[in-house]
Amino acid sequence: MKRSHVFLLAVVAILIGALLVTLQDASVYATFDMAQKQQPETVTVVAKLDLDAPLHFDPKTTLLSFTAVDKEGKRARVFYNQPKPTDFERSEEITLTGHATDSAFIATDILMKCPSKYTDKEGVMPESASVNTPAEA
Amino acid sequence: MTYLGEHTFWAGLGRMFIALSFAGALLAAFFYGIQALRSPAEREERPAHGLRSAGRWAFSLHSLGVLGTIGALFAALFNHWFEFDYVWRHSSLDMPMEYIASCFWEGQEGSFLLWMTWHAALGMVLMRTAKSWEYGTLMTLSLVQLFLASMLLGVYIGDLKIGSSPFVLIRELPENLGLPWTEFSDYLMRIPAFRDGQGLNPLLQNYWMVIHPPTLFLGFAAVTIPFLYAVTGLIEKRYTEWALPALPWTFFGVAILGTGVLMGGAWAYEALSFGGFWAWDPVENSSLVPWLTLVAAGHLMMVVKHKKTAPGTALFLTLFSFLLVLYSTFLTRSGILGETSVHAFVDLGLNGQLMAFLGFFTIGSLLLLAFRGRHLPKSPSEDAFSSREFWMFIGSLTLLLSAAQITFSTSIPVLNKLIGPEGMIPLLSTQMAPPADAARHYNSLQIPFALIIASLMAIGPFLRWKESPAALVRRVLVASIVSALLGALMIWGLSLTEPLYAALLVISLFAFVANADYWLRFLRGKWTAGAMAMAHMGFALVLLGALISNAKKEAISTNATYIHADFPSNENILLPLRDTVSMYPYYVEWMGERTEGHNRIFDIAFYEVETPLASWVDGERKHLKTSFTLAPFVQMNARMGNVREPSTQHYWNKDIYTYVSYADLRPTAEKEGDWDEPMEASLQAGDDIFLFNEYLLHGDTLVVQDASFDPESGALNDLDIELTMTLKAMDGTATSIILPYHLHGNEVETTEVEIKDTPIKLRFDGVTDESGTFKVTAWKKKNQDPPFILLQAFIFPYINVLWLGAILMALGSLLAVWKRIYRSLSEEKK
Repeated sequence: MKRSHVFLLAVVAILIGALLVTLQDASVYATFDMAQKQQPETVTVVAKLDLDAPLHFDPKTTLLSFTAVDKEGKRARVFYNQPKPTDFERSEEITLTGHATDSAFIATDILMKCPSKYTDKEGVMPESASVNTPAEA
Repeated sequence: MTYLGEHTFWAGLGRMFIALSFAGALLAAFFYGIQALRSPAEREERPAHGLRSAGRWAFSLHSLGVLGTIGALFAALFNHWFEFDYVWRHSSLDMPMEYIASCFWEGQEGSFLLWMTWHAALGMVLMRTAKSWEYGTLMTLSLVQLFLASMLLGVYIGDLKIGSSPFVLIRELPENLGLPWTEFSDYLMRIPAFRDGQGLNPLLQNYWMVIHPPTLFLGFAAVTIPFLYAVTGLIEKRYTEWALPALPWTFFGVAILGTGVLMGGAWAYEALSFGGFWAWDPVENSSLVPWLTLVAAGHLMMVVKHKKTAPGTALFLTLFSFLLVLYSTFLTRSGILGETSVHAFVDLGLNGQLMAFLGFFTIGSLLLLAFRGRHLPKSPSEDAFSSREFWMFIGSLTLLLSAAQITFSTSIPVLNKLIGPEGMIPLLSTQMAPPADAARHYNSLQIPFALIIASLMAIGPFLRWKESPAALVRRVLVASIVSALLGALMIWGLSLTEPLYAALLVISLFAFVANADYWLRFLRGKWTAGAMAMAHMGFALVLLGALISNAKKEAISTNATYIHADFPSNENILLPLRDTVSMYPYYVEWMGERTEGHNRIFDIAFYEVETPLASWVDGERKHLKTSFTLAPFVQMNARMGNVREPSTQHYWNKDIYTYVSYADLRPTAEKEGDWDEPMEASLQAGDDIFLFNEYLLHGDTLVVQDASFDPESGALNDLDIELTMTLKAMDGTATSIILPYHLHGNEVETTEVEIKDTPIKLRFDGVTDESGTFKVTAWKKKNQDPPFILLQAFIFPYINVLWLGAILMALGSLLAVWKRIYRSLSEEKK
């Protein structure tokens, strides 16, 4: 066997190894139900903030607690031991990384999708403008 | 109908220029293509200068089109013509002039245009310098530009949207077509929303946004040029010759793209509150990966140039680097990263086109490589173990593996689309998400690769053709001893316990010392010969600086409040206003906040203990001296959301990095809260009365300033009196207060006076006639909590090593470019 073949084999072996590690490290997109079943494994849940439920932030302990609704409509109380992200209430969708306990979901990371980031033209250049103008004219 | 106030001439002009650049690229590809597909020998036989001139003309017209498009777009941005969707979306009236450039490339269309501009500029250089390579390279470049220009066309063929034009007017957007307001010829004056644009995302409003994108896109454009040479080499069967002219471009790309990527890191570190210079974010990763493969390609090109054989891997890596740039374009612009990245572009609905762009060049390159693969010259013998070439090959493979790993992990959202439960071929039962702890994931895989790369960088330069291992050991002996000693010292000094980090520290030191040694001893420190050593030393410093500043990054703002076993103590310190708090090794005090423009600035003073003895007396101000003050701020932007921006104190050996992680950002009036139910008091001069169980109010004197009586009836007409009182707090501080009272005819005028430094407000309601008793109403504020902020503070040790390394690396690579240009110029003269 030629030396180049040995190296090719080594490269393929390392590549497969790296892929396996990546797959192992990758968390999964889950629902709150799945997170419950898989506790204490770290999962990622895409959810919406429930604005009707109490949202509490205690700056002294930096504990934020709120209720989120996942894509299947399941609600969960979420605790996040970091300062409340700016414009948290305005978020359209939140991506929670963390794990479930029997009673709540403990988030270690929150990524928000804000409507402002995805320019919301309807809000600014609205039909309302078109409704109002004929009256003026 | 003509609309009033619209600049439709400029819109038409802009579109015309885009069409010109598209048509120019098409013609250039055609004219150059005819000649490019003939072999060089054929071309020599039948020179067909006319075709070459036609190609040059077409490409020049294309470049003119690109320039014109830029001009028209700048005119629209500069003059705030908000009827243009692009202008309205990305700029606003209150933006400082220097950010006009930033809004130019904030959107996808503008950044495509930026990329095209660099391509066109480099293409004009190629036209003059490429000689026999002109046909193939410019044909391929024209094809690339054709795809890019199509992204800006903004035309519809049936329902198919081709490109997104930056010159679309808002009333022409599909979602607005037919709306009643578009029927008014004076809609621009009538609808207030058109008076101002949305403005630039506040995250992007700093000078980094002015310099980072042009640098990065020049880097991307520079990756294209070696690709053009490789493609031409394959088409024209000049399998090894292409490496020589491609090399300076490759090093140029390495320098510029490397600078661009690290500039992004510097930006994140200086102006964003991500808490570091590198977060393994998909967008960062996808600009790093082409750099890694380009470095690998450059090293193998040197082997090909030197040995004139076995160009397969070099060709593959060169093609692959460009394809990775396209893939990176696809990732960041298709919206596929939406949930996983903080700074991807907005989806413009051009995914099909982006995929066609990526697909055309991927399939084209692979087919070309496959068809020509059999004819590639093979090396007659295998490289010796001790040869530089062999180890360069190993190093390049390692870089490729490193790039492959980063790409794979970054592509998880793409994998979900392909094989996820809702994907095209549903292989997976659940959606994969990116690694929860990105830093740990990437570090654990990338550090071993970095170890190999750094070792090869150290030993590589000393490798000579056909030498015994013993000779090599003798050569690197000095460097290894020096770096082992220095490394041990640093590991001890930094108390670095992680074995993988310690290993990388020693090895990257080795790479630095070995290259310095090689340059000084073997090349006698000659500047012109130092390109390789300098670039290697720079990269070693980048590794070293990244390693130390990350591994020893220390959060000094710890909050030790125990909540629950599930919540480890976190990194946010609570700072009440004007209270000195210990934050080892500093004491910090939040001095207050102020507003400058859009920024709410928080002044934080850092104190150090003056003498060790004084530190025993905890927190007494006289033992502390001000070391420095930092001013982290929050940029207030109602439309885009508020942005926290850090402030950093730089020392040569460490940075103290802070940002406000939480603050009450409501306006002051709103923040102060409501008043409690009032309390009414009656007292006479000399009386004391308790207010809210906290304050003692003392009535001093009543002074009549002015009084006038109606001369006929003798009734009081005008009265102007002042009541002087003293408010004593529990701690004994007394405040003297003057409360006015005016009477004009029947109208009584009283004033509510807020007492400074207290939550109290008083009002003098007048005097009861009989006994001269004053009536006073008192209020106390409801919300009495002292204001506070939460602060995060980190120490990044030796981060300057990283920036120094970046500069050195760029200089070394540019030196290599200059050396090659100089050499080819002097060869021409002979």
